[in-house]
Amino acid sequence: MASSSTSVVVSNKEKENKNTKKVTLKSSDGESFEVDESVAMESQTIKHIIEDGCANNEIPLPNVTSGILSRVIEYCKKHKEAAGESEPSVTSYTSNSTTNPLTEWDTEFVKVDQNTLFDLILAANYLDIKGLLDLTCKTVADMMKGKTPQEIRETFHIKNDYTPEEEAEVRKENQWAFE
Amino acid sequence: MTNIRSIIQDMRSRSSRVVQDRFPAGPPSSAAAEVGVEDGMNQSCWANMPQELLREVLVKIEASESAWPLRKNVVACAGVCRSWRHITKEIVKIPELSGILTFPISIKQPGPRDSLLQCFIKRNRSSQTYYLYLSVTNGPANAEDGKFLLAARKCRRPTCTDYIISLHADEMSKGSSTYIGKLRSNFLGTKFTIFDGQPPHAGAKITKSRSTRMVNSKQISPRVPVGNYSVAHISYELNVLGSRGPRRMQCTVDAIPSSAIEPGGVAPTQMDFSLGNVDFFPSMPFLRSKSNHVETFSSGPLASQKDGVLVLKNKAPRWHEQLQCWCLNFHGRVTVASVKNFQLVASPENGPSGPEHEKIILQFGKVGKDLFTMDFRYPISAFQAFAICLSSFDTKIACE
Repeated sequence: MASSSTSVVVSNKEKENKNTKKVTLKSSDGESFEVDESVAMESQTIKHIIEDGCANNEIPLPNVTSGILSRVIEYCKKHKEAAGESEPSVTSYTSNSTTNPLTEWDTEFVKVDQNTLFDLILAANYLDIKGLLDLTCKTVADMMKGKTPQEIRETFHIKNDYTPEEEAEVRKENQWAFE
Repeated sequence: MTNIRSIIQDMRSRSSRVVQDRFPAGPPSSAAAEVGVEDGMNQSCWANMPQELLREVLVKIEASESAWPLRKNVVACAGVCRSWRHITKEIVKIPELSGILTFPISIKQPGPRDSLLQCFIKRNRSSQTYYLYLSVTNGPANAEDGKFLLAARKCRRPTCTDYIISLHADEMSKGSSTYIGKLRSNFLGTKFTIFDGQPPHAGAKITKSRSTRMVNSKQISPRVPVGNYSVAHISYELNVLGSRGPRRMQCTVDAIPSSAIEPGGVAPTQMDFSLGNVDFFPSMPFLRSKSNHVETFSSGPLASQKDGVLVLKNKAPRWHEQLQCWCLNFHGRVTVASVKNFQLVASPENGPSGPEHEKIILQFGKVGKDLFTMDFRYPISAFQAFAICLSSFDTKIACE
């Protein structure tokens, strides 16, 4: 505990000394978020906008609401911080939870309702943040495991649109697979 | 305590009733929206998920659930709705490439090219039924650790014996949707024919038999011919030493060209269970984009029967002077000596012998009282392998 709090203090000091560059991100509902440029660049989409010299005042993100954007920024900040404190390879999203110290934090981060999770996936895709996209997609994938097709439909409120012939085929497959 | 509980329950039911009343009237408040997600929505956000993101999710499932029994989660995803089915079937690779069996159709598709797929067969003598399982753990066949694949039941007839092969042990009738094919032996048990309930390739002819009939199944509305297509012939003979020596086995697989085992060769691959030319999913053709795979219905007719089909022969055991017995190296997969044990390799009948004729394509042998291992690879399928093994049970050649 003591060592980690020390390193946080150090990095804060570093930030103050460095006079870090900031960018402003504007959500679809008009809210502005000022973040460190390095944090914002966790998003490849934003990174390209900045590198192309198109980020003058604010970067508008018409596809992301403020609620979602604030969460995304939280994710990027956390992962950028962890990258700064140790080897960069640690924060690249690995499926091996024992090598990723942020696994617990990530798990808590995705404990949200379905609509929020869905919006996070869309945002991660639009903003091109690989780690977040992997995390959210994996969360959805985990929600499907161990369920029958009907249970999956109920979880995700999906309509069964098969013809009777297709339904018969599906039934046959699942009868065999769940044998 | 009961009073409080009933009050809370009443409040809960009241609030959900309010939400449902309010929902159609206009945009609900943010508090109600949270509850509304669970109760009122018919079509959720997930139904409108962009295809490429849905694909991301399904790719993750396919990658993580690679072994049975977890593999069933992939099958479940393909059963949710049309778009999920289309994407999942696109992602899943055929066993020839992945070494993994996923959908029931996998048992009709050629096995992996690079390795032997390990299975085991359990025999139930009293019900004359044989069960084929995929091994899910490495090591010796464990009767508990298997994924059920196929079942076969022996039916003795006046002039022959049939082994009906089905996806479900309890549904053995030919008209059933789980019927896969059968093995028929001649009266003497020296010659066998493997029949596939589906055409193995374009231009395949139905074998006319008394039992060929139109089936009007309740589930499938167009009447489709449930025929029997001859796909392979197996014959057993004594070798020069008579019944004291190992028997000779030859399997002519009419459904597979001999070129299949040559470099760059392909074997016909059935992609779905639609019978004849009836396509049950007209909007979603399950086409493989890889150019080196032959589509079931786009390939031309195979070469004529006698010329250019795959012929398998059993590897001749060597006489072990010290042990005074015939020996084959089964690499630990067969542990009990039995005349039924065999290894099949491709016979270089159509040309000079090459390295492709050294590979064991099918291996079968006893490991316990009613337990046998079956290992097979490309170009034969689990169904064909199973049927060939069943003939080994049945034949009376060289049985002491």
